[in-house]
Amino acid sequence: MTAAVEVFEQERRRVLRRRRAEALIGLLAFSALLALAFQRSEFFSADIGGDPLGRIGEFLARMVPDLKAEALLEDRQARGSLAWWYYDLPLWLRTGWQTVEMALIATTAGAAAACFAGFACARNLMPLAPVRFVVRRTLELIRTLPDLIVALILVAAFGVGPLAGVITLALSTFGSLGKLFAEVNEEVDPRPLEALEASGAGLARKIRYGVLPQVLPNYASYALLRLEGNVAAAAALGIVGAGGIGVELQRAITYTEFDTYLAILLLIVAMIFLIDIGSEQIRHRLIGLGAKR
Amino acid sequence: MLELQGVTKRFGDTVAVDNVSLACRRGEMVGIIGRSGAGKSTLLRMINRLSEPDAGKILWESREVSRLRGDDLRRWRRRCAMIFQQFNLCPRLDVVTNVLVGVVAERPLGPTLFKIFPAADRARAVLELDALDMAHAALQRAGTLSGGQQQRVAIARAMLQDPDVVLADEPVASLDPVNAEVVMEALQRICHERNVPVLVNLHSLEIARTYCTRVIAMAKGAVVFDGPPQGLTPAVLERVYGRRAGRTLEPLPAVEAA
Amino acid sequence: MTPADMDQALELSPRAVRPSWRDRVLRGLIGALALAALIAMAVDVGVTPTALAAGSGKLATFLRAMIPPNAGGELVRIVRALGETFAMAFAGTVLAAVAALPLGVFGAKSVVPQPLLHFGFRRVLDMFRGVPALVWALIFVAAFGLGPFGGVLALAIADVPGLAKLYAEAIENCDEKPLEGLRSAGAAPPVVLRYGLLPQVAPLMASQTLFFLESNFRNAAVLGIVGAGGIGFELEERIRIFAFDEVAFIVLLYVVCVAVLDTISQRLRARLA
Ligand SMILES: Nc1ncnc2c1ncn2[C@@H]1O[C@H](COP(=O)(O)OP(=O)(O)OP(=O)(O)O)[C@@H](O)[C@H]1O
Ligand SMILES: [Mg+2]
Repeated sequence: MTAAVEVFEQERRRVLRRRRAEALIGLLAFSALLALAFQRSEFFSADIGGDPLGRIGEFLARMVPDLKAEALLEDRQARGSLAWWYYDLPLWLRTGWQTVEMALIATTAGAAAACFAGFACARNLMPLAPVRFVVRRTLELIRTLPDLIVALILVAAFGVGPLAGVITLALSTFGSLGKLFAEVNEEVDPRPLEALEASGAGLARKIRYGVLPQVLPNYASYALLRLEGNVAAAAALGIVGAGGIGVELQRAITYTEFDTYLAILLLIVAMIFLIDIGSEQIRHRLIGLGAKR
Repeated sequence: MLELQGVTKRFGDTVAVDNVSLACRRGEMVGIIGRSGAGKSTLLRMINRLSEPDAGKILWESREVSRLRGDDLRRWRRRCAMIFQQFNLCPRLDVVTNVLVGVVAERPLGPTLFKIFPAADRARAVLELDALDMAHAALQRAGTLSGGQQQRVAIARAMLQDPDVVLADEPVASLDPVNAEVVMEALQRICHERNVPVLVNLHSLEIARTYCTRVIAMAKGAVVFDGPPQGLTPAVLERVYGRRAGRTLEPLPAVEAA
Repeated sequence: MTPADMDQALELSPRAVRPSWRDRVLRGLIGALALAALIAMAVDVGVTPTALAAGSGKLATFLRAMIPPNAGGELVRIVRALGETFAMAFAGTVLAAVAALPLGVFGAKSVVPQPLLHFGFRRVLDMFRGVPALVWALIFVAAFGLGPFGGVLALAIADVPGLAKLYAEAIENCDEKPLEGLRSAGAAPPVVLRYGLLPQVAPLMASQTLFFLESNFRNAAVLGIVGAGGIGFELEERIRIFAFDEVAFIVLLYVVCVAVLDTISQRLRARLA
């Protein structure tokens, strides 16, 4: 054996030993965590009624509606028809629309507030460091609060209904968009700003003519992305009493109508999907606009 | 002897390689030149069977390798080492494992899946690396090396393949002049010491003239010149590269490929 | 302002510098319409200044009652519930990763090259990606009883479509060059995947899974609200009896724990890169 091989084999043994030790520690730590997690969460020890697979099968059977091919297109009275499955469709559509309205209002309000916050904590636009600091910390604080817990408190304060949900969503939209808008502002092209400054424009005019035209397409695109998320979140908020179609989900569970639950769930999925597609279209156009500018 | 008989490859309407016939003897260092898109890479890839010819035969020692399947095909690929412009190493694996890839075709599947190789293989890999002055990096991740170092690792891998044929697709196109020299000298050494045919795609005429004993020029998929490098007259170059080459012989116009 | 500056400004945003009258009127009209629509919606769902004012007083009382935060002598119980929440998040994420792996592999274009199948599969994943975990938790708790079982299942199912999509993308976006290098040396397909693909995608997938874990740590608290165990249940109970000092304590503790776990997870992700 030559020296090179010997040196290599020695080094290899050392590296291998270290790697194996690391892998072993990692594996042990992961298994311990996993065991602890499953033990704490009682996932495998939970008593879901003796025979778990049978229980899941029964659950699925209850969730799938008892549709009959021959009666599919008949009216609500006929068991097994689509109309019978979706027996409260007008109400669900109305509350579904309410959910969309909640998301729209919350996104608009949150985004509008975020605009101001975004300017107030952008390094290149807000000269006062203390203001930037306070706004930034506030946004951070809002982002750390879990949405649904905020919603729970707000429902206690404002009563059951969409208002609590709208405030919750507006707040969290404000928190996340404020940060994103500030980032957009800080990446603005400084040349037009300098041009405006040279012409003696004040801060307000600088923002109006130098910044807004550059950042608006980005703002809109972030806000639309957030809108997509807010529609889904608004649907979930109803479950804690904050209005919209989630309330109907909760009601279906109260009456243990699992097939109704599936009906509403599919409706929600379709709703989210449509909003996503629409918003995606607009976003793509906005990106094109931003690129052309 | 490596033989190509009427080898053709089409991609849709483009004929990438058009009815190419040639033969390479052992110990020949063949440079393949031609404009970008002339079909040089496609030709080499067909010899290694990364790409299937649409027509024609490829033979090694009178055995048709363009027909091989399964294990036979893998054994041929192992004996037909290929070196790439972008090295094509596994960046997250260490250097020695990348070199040991040269023997995986011959080792049982089970242990190789756990990256377990006989000590003799490891020793060979280290010696090949050492010959290219790369043994010190044997346990480093390949992705952390410089381009020239990575190409040397790729050559060490090719060596471990015990090649009957060496194919190199623009092995020096992304290297600095010093590294290019190191790599070309290594290829030349392989050619002489192992007495195998080496086919190198090149974009630099100067390198072709310095290292190759024979030059094949391609244009639009066809061979337009085949002979010693001294035969690359301005008239020939004009046929290979088009008008501009005739006027400015050096440096080459075809750097656009990079 | 020099003419050159003006030209530059014009080029960067022509309509902002010199808007035409027609543009201005049109834009004003659209703005007014949108505003009117928004106000109509707000009235429709009951978001009005009066309603806002009516609840603000109460909210202010709640907020005042939060200070100082106070464990209410139930620290052990709270910590236990907190542990349960994080355990649910961890278990749910692991289950989601296990289920998403085969889906991701078969959702990758390079694995299943049939475009229609691929498109349909991705669309289904996209549709269910939006369903929040709480929606799943509600029905699972109804079906399988109170306790964390439904919560774990809900987190897992809510994450599967998103993770599967990311896994599929990781596989699709992998670098082909190493695989080709392996093939050129005669490596068999399993070796090509083990040496070429796995080292590329495994760290990426692990990092994405950690990202989901972080988000689940953040979201798992809410599951308790519908009876799926953990800290959410404790929170809801205390909100119902207006024990806001204890609510504040729990939320603070939770937020701090999440921040710590986030930092650990981010460290791990940085190491994977
Ligand atoms: N996988 C493929 N699919 C479709 N067309 C291809 C493919 N590979 C190569 N071609 C086409 O075949 C022709 C020859 O390509 P090839 O890569 O062999 O050229 P080359 O001589 O190696 O060029 P370069 O010097 O730029 O590497 C080109 O027209 C190319 O576009
Ligand atoms: Mg090429």
